[in-house]
Amino acid sequence: MRSKYSWILTLLLAFGLQFSFAQEKTISGTVTDGDGLPLPGANVMVKGTTKGAQTDFDGNYSISANEGDVLVFSYIGQKTEEVTVGASSTINVSLAADAQALEEVVVVGYGQKAKELSTSAVSTVAAESIESFVPSTSVDNILQGQAAGVQVTAANGRPGNTAFVQIRGVGSINAGTTPLYVIDGTPIDASDVPNLNPNDIESMSILKDAATVSQYGSRGANGVILITTKQGKGDAKIVFRSSYGFGERIPDPFDIMNAEQKLELERQYAELGVSAANALPGANADAQERARLIALDTDWEEELLRKAEIQSNSLQISGGEDKLSYFLSLGYDKNTGIIDRINGFERLSGRINTTYQAKEWLTVGANISASRSSTDLPRDRNNVQNPFRAMYDYNPWDPLFLRDANGNVVTDDNGEPVYNPTTTGFPIALALQTEPESNRNFLLIGNLFADIKLSEHFSNRFSVGLTNNRFNRTTRSIAGGVLQGFVGDANFPGTQTDNFSLDFEYNINNLLTYTDTFNDVHNVSASFLLEYNENIFTDLFVSSRGFPSPDIPYQDVAAEQTNGGTSEARRILFSQGLFLDYDYDGKYIASASVRRDGSSRFGPENKYGVFYSGSVAWNIARESFLENTFVNNLKLRASYGTSGNQAIPDFEFLNLLGFGTYNGFTTAIPLGVGNPDIQWESQAILDIGVEFGFFNNRLNGVFDYFKKNSDNLLLNRPISQIIGDEDNAIFANVGEIENSGFELSLNYDIIRGQDLLWSVGGNITLLDNEVKELVGGEDIIRGNTILREGEEINSFFLPEYAGVNPANGEPLYVDLDGNVTNQFSDGFAKLIEGKSPAAEMEGGFYTNFRYKGLGLRADFVYKKGNYILNFQRSAGVSIGNIDGNQRVEAFNYWKEPGDQNVLPNPIYQNTADQTSTRFLEAGDYVRLRTLTLDYSLPSQFLDGTGIDRFRVFFTGQNILTFTDYNGDPEIGLGSAETAEPGDAGFVPGAFSLFSYPQTRSFTFGFELGF
Amino acid sequence: MKKHINLLSSLFIALSFVACSDEVEDLQPFTEGNPETFFNSVESFQSGVNGIYSQLWNYYSSPGSGLQGIPDILSDNVILATTGRRSNEDYYDYRYVPTTGGAIPLYWSEAYEAVNAANLVIGQIDNLADGPAKDNILGQALAARALAHFDLARVYAKIPTQSSDANSSPGIVVIKVEDGDTGDPFAQFTRETVASNYAEIIADLEQARLLVAESNGEGRMDKDAVNGLLSRVYLYNGNYQQAIDAANRVTTPIATAAELPGLYTDSNNAGLVYELAVNTSSEANFNNVGVLYSQSNSSATISEYVIDLGFWQSIDVGNDARAEVMRFIGTNQNNDYNAIRKFLGEEGQVNGRVDVKVLRAAEVLLNKAEAQFELGQEAEALATLNELRDNRYDSYTGGETGQALFDAISFERRVELSFEGHRWFDLKRLGQDVVRTNAGDIIDGTGTPPEVRVLSAGDPRFQFPIPQAEINANPNMEQNPGY
Repeated sequence: MRSKYSWILTLLLAFGLQFSFAQEKTISGTVTDGDGLPLPGANVMVKGTTKGAQTDFDGNYSISANEGDVLVFSYIGQKTEEVTVGASSTINVSLAADAQALEEVVVVGYGQKAKELSTSAVSTVAAESIESFVPSTSVDNILQGQAAGVQVTAANGRPGNTAFVQIRGVGSINAGTTPLYVIDGTPIDASDVPNLNPNDIESMSILKDAATVSQYGSRGANGVILITTKQGKGDAKIVFRSSYGFGERIPDPFDIMNAEQKLELERQYAELGVSAANALPGANADAQERARLIALDTDWEEELLRKAEIQSNSLQISGGEDKLSYFLSLGYDKNTGIIDRINGFERLSGRINTTYQAKEWLTVGANISASRSSTDLPRDRNNVQNPFRAMYDYNPWDPLFLRDANGNVVTDDNGEPVYNPTTTGFPIALALQTEPESNRNFLLIGNLFADIKLSEHFSNRFSVGLTNNRFNRTTRSIAGGVLQGFVGDANFPGTQTDNFSLDFEYNINNLLTYTDTFNDVHNVSASFLLEYNENIFTDLFVSSRGFPSPDIPYQDVAAEQTNGGTSEARRILFSQGLFLDYDYDGKYIASASVRRDGSSRFGPENKYGVFYSGSVAWNIARESFLENTFVNNLKLRASYGTSGNQAIPDFEFLNLLGFGTYNGFTTAIPLGVGNPDIQWESQAILDIGVEFGFFNNRLNGVFDYFKKNSDNLLLNRPISQIIGDEDNAIFANVGEIENSGFELSLNYDIIRGQDLLWSVGGNITLLDNEVKELVGGEDIIRGNTILREGEEINSFFLPEYAGVNPANGEPLYVDLDGNVTNQFSDGFAKLIEGKSPAAEMEGGFYTNFRYKGLGLRADFVYKKGNYILNFQRSAGVSIGNIDGNQRVEAFNYWKEPGDQNVLPNPIYQNTADQTSTRFLEAGDYVRLRTLTLDYSLPSQFLDGTGIDRFRVFFTGQNILTFTDYNGDPEIGLGSAETAEPGDAGFVPGAFSLFSYPQTRSFTFGFELGF
Repeated sequence: MKKHINLLSSLFIALSFVACSDEVEDLQPFTEGNPETFFNSVESFQSGVNGIYSQLWNYYSSPGSGLQGIPDILSDNVILATTGRRSNEDYYDYRYVPTTGGAIPLYWSEAYEAVNAANLVIGQIDNLADGPAKDNILGQALAARALAHFDLARVYAKIPTQSSDANSSPGIVVIKVEDGDTGDPFAQFTRETVASNYAEIIADLEQARLLVAESNGEGRMDKDAVNGLLSRVYLYNGNYQQAIDAANRVTTPIATAAELPGLYTDSNNAGLVYELAVNTSSEANFNNVGVLYSQSNSSATISEYVIDLGFWQSIDVGNDARAEVMRFIGTNQNNDYNAIRKFLGEEGQVNGRVDVKVLRAAEVLLNKAEAQFELGQEAEALATLNELRDNRYDSYTGGETGQALFDAISFERRVELSFEGHRWFDLKRLGQDVVRTNAGDIIDGTGTPPEVRVLSAGDPRFQFPIPQAEINANPNMEQNPGY
């Protein structure tokens, strides 16, 4: 009996063996980490073959293999496990954390480095964080609050607009302050960033200290943001993601008046003798007229704005075999914006990233992307043409459409309602349609590279990158439209200007690297860089008048051309660099770099600049005394070095001749006196940091102290006007400013269980700055801000408001002798100590909760210690503005002796309607940037459907804000057309004046993986 | 294979060092020229000379501060219209200080830019082959530089005939490339004397008159322009015989009464010796000089300054051909004003964009008459004066002698050159007070009279202050007394 059974068993086994030899079987299982948490994206390979698979979101995998094959399980930061396939078709593997492995790789400068061996302060933002922000159309907006030391402020709420990104404070006064963006090794303009598809991004590394930014030489001073796009690996994967939602203006923390309130305020003002109110209906209307006007009550926000429609679709196909990898992506994004009657932002993008191992010693690859975006631009200035001013300023008793004597809407010959010119004389809803401006960008970014392994110790990477952005702008003033009535020529109705520009930049670099190890512990690496970068910008424009039909927006049909022009600009940068790295067994690390830049922007005496850095680190965790303790990672590091800012104007070192006309003939006049000594702005950064991970890295973080001295800042040095210079000044490298501060980022996994995960974290940056040196110690006053030696950069410079005299309601000010007076003078302006648009503290924090497939993540951003000049509030309570709508707050003016905390008595209009510290407000806020709730269907429900992954998500952006500011505190551009980056004296966030407001949005979407 | 690669990459590296460095060093601007190499032909030099004219045009025609009008606003010819924008009120009321904006910084900066543009041309003149073309370029540049220096001198310093101490008082800085004054952008010059300024200005003009062509077309200096300017500068400098001689060399006849209206609407160039011109068909965005006095649209004329009623009433309005070109009735906010017609615009326009009449044959005649009077040649002076008067009106008494003759010359000068930027300098150089009548701004003399009626001769405000920006940038610069 027993033998019989064993025979059968033998037979079965034989069958089984035969079966399995003949045919692969499917092995499946779960890969978890040491704590039993699933590891999504872990690699499973059949050893010795190219067969591989990846785990899904729940750590599950399946792969076909033969019995006896060895499966290799690997995951970044975990020890690699090998398991031989036996009889069972289920293999569950737990991968232990690998403290020793030089695991996490960070992209630093011209290459990658094991994070543990990095000596630099680098913040990394990974795909996971980026994806939870994806309804943001621009990548830079995503960075806000994500990394310590990076100050991000959305420029304004216009869809497709960029953000102001500053790394470790303001590093310049007149030159640029935006960091250098590099995507897959190709430098791009900051203005190209909104045209990238965030879904394509694998990670962003923000280089903050000299150890890495010095490698970028004369372009590194404002920090560097390295963007790495996704690459394919493993089995082919198809991911489709789609979301849809809506956006709206963030509600104001105040009310504006309705028709009845506005009429009442007009009545009160007129009664007090405010002359501006005398002609208004509130002062004159009889009861019947009053009732008629109240019945017309118009909410101009409702008439001019709408809910934005936000769509995002993305399709990605990726995979890789042993020699080839590919990543293909398509994206479509649309945000109609919140202004009714014009189009918002639309972007179509595509990408292909691929690598191929052509020879054992040669790998070639290409990363190529194309994107086209279009935007309608509303007028963004402080006048009647701006819809965001109109919604506050247009009177509520002025309806959108014109009424006849009987109160009926007036219609034109076509039966269309006629827009009301209103008391402003400007029918804005019509103007939005007759004065369109549309911008289109077509951006190509390409990067081709060849990695050549020359020998065991030498390797070489050659790469060519190019960016090509075609920009078109069409501005029109349509015949019969609003502006034509003011400035048009009756004989030539309609005007149009077309701009076309091409921004082409190419970058060729070659990096030759030598690596070696001596005695198993001395690891050495040296890289030699050669880089050539050239930017060619050409532009042309033409203006015409006399268009036969508003439907034909082409210059060819115009009656005559009135203006036109072409121009070109180039700049060249040629660099050599040497980067050295050494470590002793991964414990003691030292790096050094030196780079020499030759720039066409520098003067002949300073054509070439040399930038250097040195840095050291000590991996204490690797010392034997910390082995087997709760300390998983502890690294001390320090760096010091220099970098430059070459974002200075071209050819400042040359005497130039400008051309124009006189009496119809050509003129040639000297444009200005050049300064042959002109050079880059230079910068030295000292950074000392600690990185740590405790308790199986459940608690980890980074702490940095830095001091950044920006020197040789370009300032206008006034010269005697007798010289005859056009500017009566020469750009010279004379100023100095200093930024210093602390950065801390912390993450803590409160619960790290099989099904339950809860982690929290955040970062904080404390920033201090000071103007150290200006030309001859002279103050530089730029509007309402001032630069003064020894003081905070861009401190506010305003007359001090001393409140309202409780006896008569007269506004009081402080004169220069410190006396309170009822007079006002611009001459009372003084530096307001400690108040500037720069925050003292800012950052972000998050909480991420996950139970099985269900997740909830909230990201907050905050800012403290910055001040904003609230012109928008000033306009809303200004007595002279009584001809426009007002905030309800305006009723709260002084009425009788003893009134305190009130607005000035309107009879003192002249001294009350003045710019002073009265409207200078703290800009502190905490904002719930995103809240994401998502659910991934467990894999058992997807078995047999061919679908790997199905996830649904709901995201809210900017849905909660805590602030005392009278308006929305997140301000970059105060008024886009009044003060833009690049304008002299532009300071982001210094004032608010009816720019496109921030929006909040709610989107719902799903993700499907095959 | 690998050896080849190594070799190739070494070669590549070596080559790229050389090639790329050249690229960096050789890059040139695209839409700007190189002032060191641009001037190599008569045409390019003429563009440089046009550049000097355009710098002069900048400060003569400025809609806010043009030298074409400010000297009238400073004088007794006009009165501020209170319904206007009250532009230039600091000047009209003599409240200017070194930090005052407008004319004070504008003339200083733009005139020296003209000087700089001129020096650029003069310094490289030897790039041209000797001959009349070269002479003509050099002559224009010297003359234009002299005009800029002369304007600076008469605005910021005393005029030699103004007072006995004038010649030894601080003048301006005359910058000549020939004297090695250029090249150091950080130079800090000190003021020279008035006497030295006028000597250098005259030297430039005397040299120019021998070089410059007979005629160079509208808007450019030619022989008549240089001689006309010389007659003025000699008159300012008290060189009366030379003023007469220079005036005699001017061949341009004065505009007839019939030609006058067309002259001011740019329909003709009658009697023009030198003007700063604008081509309104191709230069649609140039300065509107007339905005100094008024802005008009179809329904209103917003006047800034209107004719002083006393001045207006001193003219034989019914008889004098000049009355028509001086005035029109401008209406604003239901008030009528004696609005200024000169510089209102070309034929049919009210935009204020017209040529700036810098020097007219009529002025040359008046310069000559005054110089003759100063030399005691009263009969000749009277004859010269009548040459003009006969062309303007027939109702004058005539036959004046002595002070009456001098007054007649001054009166004709005031009327003929009214609103063209002369009156302030004429009062200043003769050491006379500014005395405004007490009439109001409205057409019948009602309305608001001037806040400051009298500025006495000898008042330091006859010399503009040196702009504060200059004092700040140049510690060697001495401020005028009284500021």
